[in-house]
Amino acid sequence: MGESKSDVLQGTLDLMVLKTLESMGPLHGFGIARRIEQVSGDALRLNQGTIYPALLRLQQRGWIKAEWGQSESNRRAKYYSLSRAGRRQIESETENWERIAATMARFLAPSS
Amino acid sequence: MDAIRILLSRVMALFRGGKLDADLDEELREHIDLATEEKVRRGFSRDEARAAALCEFGGMTKIKEDYRVQRSVPLIEQVNRDLRFGIRQLRKAPGFALTAIFTLALGLGANTAVFSLINGLLLRPLPVPHAQDLSVLHFVRSDDPDSNFSFSAPMFRALEKRRDVFESVSSFSSRTMQVRGTSGNVEVPGAMVSGDFFHTLEVPPLMGRALSPQDDRKGGASTGFGVVISEGFWQSWFNRAPDVVGRRLTIANAPFTVVGVMPKQFIGADPTRRPDLYVPLWSAPVIDAPYDNIAAGHHSWWMRIVARRKPGVTLEQANSALAAVSNMILDETAPQDPTWIKRFREEHFQLHAVPGSKGYSYLQLRFEKPLVAVFSLCAAMLLLACLNLASLLMARSAARARELATRLAMGATRRRLVQQLLVESLLIAVLGTAAGMLAAPAVSQALAVLLLGNERHAVLDTSIDIRVFAFIAVSAIVSCVVIGLIPALRATSNNLNEQIKSGTQVASTGERRRVLPRVLMGLEVALALMLVVGAGLLATSLSRLYRVGFGFEPHGVANLSLDMGKQGLEGEPLLRWYQAYGDAIAKVPGVLNTAFASITPMDGSVWTAGYKTSAKGDERDLHMSRVSPGFFAAMRIPQFAGRDFKWEDSAASGQKIILNQSAAKLLFPGVNPIGQHVTDDKTTLEVIGVVGNIRYASLAEEPPPGGYFAITQNEDKKPSYTCVVRLAGPPDQLAGAARALAAKMAPEIPAPVLTTLTSDIDGSISSERMMAMLAVFFAACALLVTAIGLYGTLAYSTAQRTSEIGIRMALGARRLQVVGLVFRENVWTAAAGSLLGLVIALLTSRALSSFLYGTTVRDPLVMVASVAMLALVASAASLLPAIRAARIEPIAALRTE
Repeated sequence: MGESKSDVLQGTLDLMVLKTLESMGPLHGFGIARRIEQVSGDALRLNQGTIYPALLRLQQRGWIKAEWGQSESNRRAKYYSLSRAGRRQIESETENWERIAATMARFLAPSS
Repeated sequence: MDAIRILLSRVMALFRGGKLDADLDEELREHIDLATEEKVRRGFSRDEARAAALCEFGGMTKIKEDYRVQRSVPLIEQVNRDLRFGIRQLRKAPGFALTAIFTLALGLGANTAVFSLINGLLLRPLPVPHAQDLSVLHFVRSDDPDSNFSFSAPMFRALEKRRDVFESVSSFSSRTMQVRGTSGNVEVPGAMVSGDFFHTLEVPPLMGRALSPQDDRKGGASTGFGVVISEGFWQSWFNRAPDVVGRRLTIANAPFTVVGVMPKQFIGADPTRRPDLYVPLWSAPVIDAPYDNIAAGHHSWWMRIVARRKPGVTLEQANSALAAVSNMILDETAPQDPTWIKRFREEHFQLHAVPGSKGYSYLQLRFEKPLVAVFSLCAAMLLLACLNLASLLMARSAARARELATRLAMGATRRRLVQQLLVESLLIAVLGTAAGMLAAPAVSQALAVLLLGNERHAVLDTSIDIRVFAFIAVSAIVSCVVIGLIPALRATSNNLNEQIKSGTQVASTGERRRVLPRVLMGLEVALALMLVVGAGLLATSLSRLYRVGFGFEPHGVANLSLDMGKQGLEGEPLLRWYQAYGDAIAKVPGVLNTAFASITPMDGSVWTAGYKTSAKGDERDLHMSRVSPGFFAAMRIPQFAGRDFKWEDSAASGQKIILNQSAAKLLFPGVNPIGQHVTDDKTTLEVIGVVGNIRYASLAEEPPPGGYFAITQNEDKKPSYTCVVRLAGPPDQLAGAARALAAKMAPEIPAPVLTTLTSDIDGSISSERMMAMLAVFFAACALLVTAIGLYGTLAYSTAQRTSEIGIRMALGARRLQVVGLVFRENVWTAAAGSLLGLVIALLTSRALSSFLYGTTVRDPLVMVASVAMLALVASAASLLPAIRAARIEPIAALRTE
């Protein structure tokens, strides 16, 4: 289906969602999906729907909370926000990613 | 932590599936709306915007499904789906479902019922603390092969003092006691117990105090005899009066003071009794009046001993200690009787202890073997039911082979399919178990009644406890696995893929695949034959027992047992009372004649006495009874010589005896016994008559030599007799009339108990009757189940061969040949199974030999009849599918290809 849409690694999407909620505050599913697309400079075009199983997974782990609230268009929408455990998780995940990215960067750097 | 939280939220979600689905729908709808609006703002038309939004969202259904998977517990969802699928499958084949559930219910229900009996009698520990430290004492002598669990009072008192291995030694003796009610005496179950009894059993009283050694003395404690009552009696008799301690009860016409109440769960040391009254051993002369077991000393064996071992003392240590003191105990028991001590020593008298956690009841010994035998029958029945279901399921899954193969081909894992098939058999097992469990309590109650027979004071507690529950669970699980796993593994084995490639069933794989079902069916046939043989042997033996000459005519005789020990009359006036009572009963409509006897045939008691013809002659043991004039006429026992007793034969007119034929022949060979004398060194009696032999205490035993004394010459003060009533019709009116007459003529005696002689006889062979009835029932069920199995498996396999048969018929096979072709499939199974069953039956039927009367374990008639019956049933079951196969229209069969 998505040649133009990169497959997103599961753990990657989780971190993106957490990070988005950290910077934007409570947000509904569409908002999160749009924000991720915008931040990635539209380089990452995901099937927006895949965000929902990910959101459920994060809820089950207790990293985010969900609440029904009013959307901009004054309709009922589900808003997601970070929990305290979610904030801790961002820290450890970020460290983890930086380590992986650094390692990969060393491999990809032109050999001197 | 995380794992638990995730599981928890998933399990929670299980129960809120509908609500959560609606929430998700709403959330996603909102997402699409927001996306659409955003695009509209960017200049798309509304339709284009919506299409683009949906496209960017991705596959809506796929997302929802992923979401649900993430939300759910997959195994439970799957099982749930399998269950629904299984129920649909069973509904599609209601005949199969009902058969399966019924056969399993039968097997499991019967097993549970019999196990509850075994549990209540042989497995359940007494409800007392540390029951495992209890021991029951008995002794052995070289001339008596059986252990003896009865002790005399002096021997018990000697044992009671020994505290080297036992913390306490106590004894008890169950009795039906007479308690003075508002109108006359009422019978209440009770026990006489030694002073340490409650200390040994360690159960504290609910209120008041238990009996102590201070109560167990001649005349009782300083305040007279105390009595401890049960909670049930406190309720029924005293209406739970809080001031019950200190109240008076008149037991056996003597005053007793209530000293304590025992809690409901306390039942004493005999699991088959529920005493309401516990009185001290020393009150025996009062309770048993006019008899006195204490005065009878070391010759009267009337109590059981239960002892508690000291902590840390093993049964072996207790036994070696008992062995060491056995002779000393003899010396202390009867120091005044050295000849008795010498005799017991020569017979290697030795005391033993056995585990006592289950208490002691002679019924345990009596019923253990029959119950175990019946339990084996039940287990065989359950195994047969499981084999039957396994082969039916296997045949059915063969019929579903293409469905399963298709699913395997489409990527279902084998594990998944086995799981689904197992869920189906689990469904059958659960339904079958439930049905069986519903029936089990009623069945075990009915069996308990049947088994107890004449034991009208005994109780068999068949209630379900943790052991019965565990037993049910284990047998249900095992049967579920047996009936489900083999067929499931079999049905999903790899070569199934062949099925798809080859289209329909190929003969070559088919042949191989039909071996296992045939083996199972063969085993089932073998088991069925064993059950039929067992039932045949037991039923034949029982019918032979009933056809032995009793020597009397039991039909139409009712026995009224009268307890005259606690009323005012004695001696001659009492005799006249009996005569008047008999005459009054004789006037009740439907009564032909009446008479009295101290022991009636098969009433469970035995009285033997040794007599010889002269001072120097050999002493012969005679089975005795004391009877009134007219007894032989009422029982229809023929009189061969001399005369009957007369009411005028008083003690002063010289002691008289009537012998039976065997005794006459034994004592006076070749001589006319009338007018001769017999003696026991104390009394000399004149033989005045000879009557026919009768079965005395057991149908299985040949009539023993016996004799009769006259009740008119009895020197006991207050003898109790049974009124023997010969009736023209049913005894319906008699019970009420007898009770009314007794209440009028002797208001203080308890109501007479009416039994019919035929029920006494049935009761004397209760375990044989129970075994035969169950065995015949199981055999009939086994035949039915096997027939269903043979029919079902053959019908399935024939259905699969429809096209093959069609081709054969198109090629010119005649219908009769087709019948033969199909029929033959089962013939080998049935023949091999029967042969196997017959061999096993011949090898194992010896286990039944101790229950058989006049029937050898290889009774040829039974063997032949059993095989013939099985062959008949198997043929009938196999002929139906064969005939149906022969009706196949070749054209129709080929067209379905």
